[in-house]
Amino acid sequence: MQNDGIDRRSFLKGAAAGAAALGSQLVATTASPQTAQSETDAKEPKVAGAKSIDRPGSDFMVNVIKATGIEYIAANPGSSFRSLHESIVNYGGNKNPEFLTCMHEESSVAMAHGYAKAAGKPMGVMAHGTVGLQHAAMAVYNAWCDRVPIMMFAGNFVDASMRRPGVEWYHCVQDPALLLRDFIKWDDQPASLQHFAESVMRAYKLATTPPMEPVLITADGGLQEHPIEDESKLSIPKLTLSVPPQGDAGALREAAQLLVAAEQPVIIADRAARTQEGVRRLVALAETLNAPVVCLGGRMNFPTTHYLCRSEDGRALVRGADVVLLLEVADPWGQFNAISDPQHEYRRLASPDVKIVHITLGDSVMKSNYQDMQRFCPVDLSINGDAEASLPALTEEVKRATTSDRRAALAARTEKLQAQHREMKDRTRALAANGWDAQPVSTARLSMELWNAVKGEQWCLAETANVTWSRRLWPATEHYNFLGHSGAAGVGYCAPAAVGAALANRDKGIVTVVIQPDGDLMYAPGILWTAAHHKIPILMLMHNNRAYHQEVMHLQKMAGLHDRRMDTARIGTTIEDPNIDFAGLARAQGVWAEGPITEPAAIGPALARALKIVQGGAPALIDVVSQGR
Amino acid sequence: MRPPAMLLALVASAALAQEQAPPGSAEQGYHAYMKFQCYTCHGTVGQGGERNAGPKLAPSPFPWAGFVMQVRAPRQDMPAYREQFLSSQDLADIYAYLLSIKPSPAAKSISLLNP
Repeated sequence: MQNDGIDRRSFLKGAAAGAAALGSQLVATTASPQTAQSETDAKEPKVAGAKSIDRPGSDFMVNVIKATGIEYIAANPGSSFRSLHESIVNYGGNKNPEFLTCMHEESSVAMAHGYAKAAGKPMGVMAHGTVGLQHAAMAVYNAWCDRVPIMMFAGNFVDASMRRPGVEWYHCVQDPALLLRDFIKWDDQPASLQHFAESVMRAYKLATTPPMEPVLITADGGLQEHPIEDESKLSIPKLTLSVPPQGDAGALREAAQLLVAAEQPVIIADRAARTQEGVRRLVALAETLNAPVVCLGGRMNFPTTHYLCRSEDGRALVRGADVVLLLEVADPWGQFNAISDPQHEYRRLASPDVKIVHITLGDSVMKSNYQDMQRFCPVDLSINGDAEASLPALTEEVKRATTSDRRAALAARTEKLQAQHREMKDRTRALAANGWDAQPVSTARLSMELWNAVKGEQWCLAETANVTWSRRLWPATEHYNFLGHSGAAGVGYCAPAAVGAALANRDKGIVTVVIQPDGDLMYAPGILWTAAHHKIPILMLMHNNRAYHQEVMHLQKMAGLHDRRMDTARIGTTIEDPNIDFAGLARAQGVWAEGPITEPAAIGPALARALKIVQGGAPALIDVVSQGR
Repeated sequence: MRPPAMLLALVASAALAQEQAPPGSAEQGYHAYMKFQCYTCHGTVGQGGERNAGPKLAPSPFPWAGFVMQVRAPRQDMPAYREQFLSSQDLADIYAYLLSIKPSPAAKSISLLNP
């Protein structure tokens, strides 16, 4: 059909010739607003109308990410990082990093959270600049409170003239990091590819320098999709990690003198040990002082089999202590004071004269808005330093300060401390025996059946706060045995973090298990699909108490406080009627599963079958109907 | 060896105190225990809850007088159950239920607790 003297064949020929000319002149330029549109088209970056861009900026971004050593990058796919996504899977060969498909950005971040604690290094996460980061926010806050590094990349089109109408505008923002800035360590929105390279290196370095925290780099959509102008001008800086800071030598000497002179010293460790070396160093200090250690569970700090491990006796020990050494304790005030619930009455737990030493980097990441800093705790010696890095120097000072007389006095504690450790274990076992055969299954039974299933393996329990029997009774000696908890108690952490940990443990021969609360799993159960799809072997034993149990108890307290009826706390708090079929939920997503199990004696055989599946490289879930607490 | 006299007196008074509890139905008491959600903190068989939820109640619950006092005007963090919402009969039934709970096996007899 002819139109304005141009027939169809001539038009197509002309268009082809024009495209060829265009393709040979792929140079990025900045157009002047005064330039006529046709001239603008000739000078503009050849994205509009370009038939192919064989070296998009996102290819270079992948080179940068590879240079950090990141092995995995988790995301729910999004258009604002589509070019980076494509470069990862095609240009990058989908290896180092490998793209992990998640069903929710909260799962992506929580997976990275658990991964980092098991692997000892961060993973990547990609998310939309608005809706993606909004979804991810709670999980980022958990990681912030738990001092865990995560490398996050947000997609965003800062150039409004590039945005397609409608959805793309909803998914773009002037300042992507604003939403998270109160609970990330650093962020940047690079304006060029070289800027991107330098910022990613800086971000990685900051994320992995204690106190470790999540960081965010915006990968601008335009930078991703535009062609690389001149690759010879781009470079990726060398990445050198910072050495963790040690506490001041004089302060450590003073701390040592206090501890050596103490008659009832106590060591309280929370996130002290970052590595197995940290565990070894704390054992060395505790043995040199012959002082009991209370592990609060933020990390695996101290072997539970050691006679100096007295975590269950924490309150009694603090009550009688004359000197307490805190090591990276998130809530120091709460070790010495309590507020009753719901009457909010204050109670002192320790002697008014107790001397407190705190070695922590917590003060250096404290921000104002979110109150994760906890209540201000006056101490006698505040040492700004990484606990694990400071322990060797502190131990040496303790040895120097210990005279031969004092050495004899410290050694004389051993028999009593050993007896107290045995009594503590006996007491805990007696408590665990209560309700042993009850239905619903007691939490102690749940925990010990799981122990029995994995005791012959190298094992990792991915979360240890929801059911504490494991920390109290399982013989844990390795740093990788226990991975702590969510950090901020943001529910929904457990399942994805466990999958992330299992990913890190997959190639190490470590069997990852988790006691999985029902309510937690329901926040984003798609993580089960992710585990099945990516063949991540994890053994999930459901702690299915059919409720947001903490909230049931809160409602009871409120009804009691308000002098009202006490039989309605199930409204708005229980997960029943109908009961969720977790085994069905798991099977629907490709995960081998059994349950619900109500008979305690059936748990062991089910776990044995599940373990075979996990040892074969796949996830497995056993649903057990259990007691509330 | 014969237990000390003081211990004998304590056990005797506890037994007497339990005997002084009004009549109650263990079966009704189970339903009341579940209805008023005593189990959320203390467990369905009074075994206690972890993470400081609530202490063990059974077997051998507190003497009746102390039990009533704790339910109606509790110490520490337990919510109060007033008589208008939890009747005296319900309380007696709950107590009967707790009295009926058999002891769990001793820890030493459980292989999973003694690797």
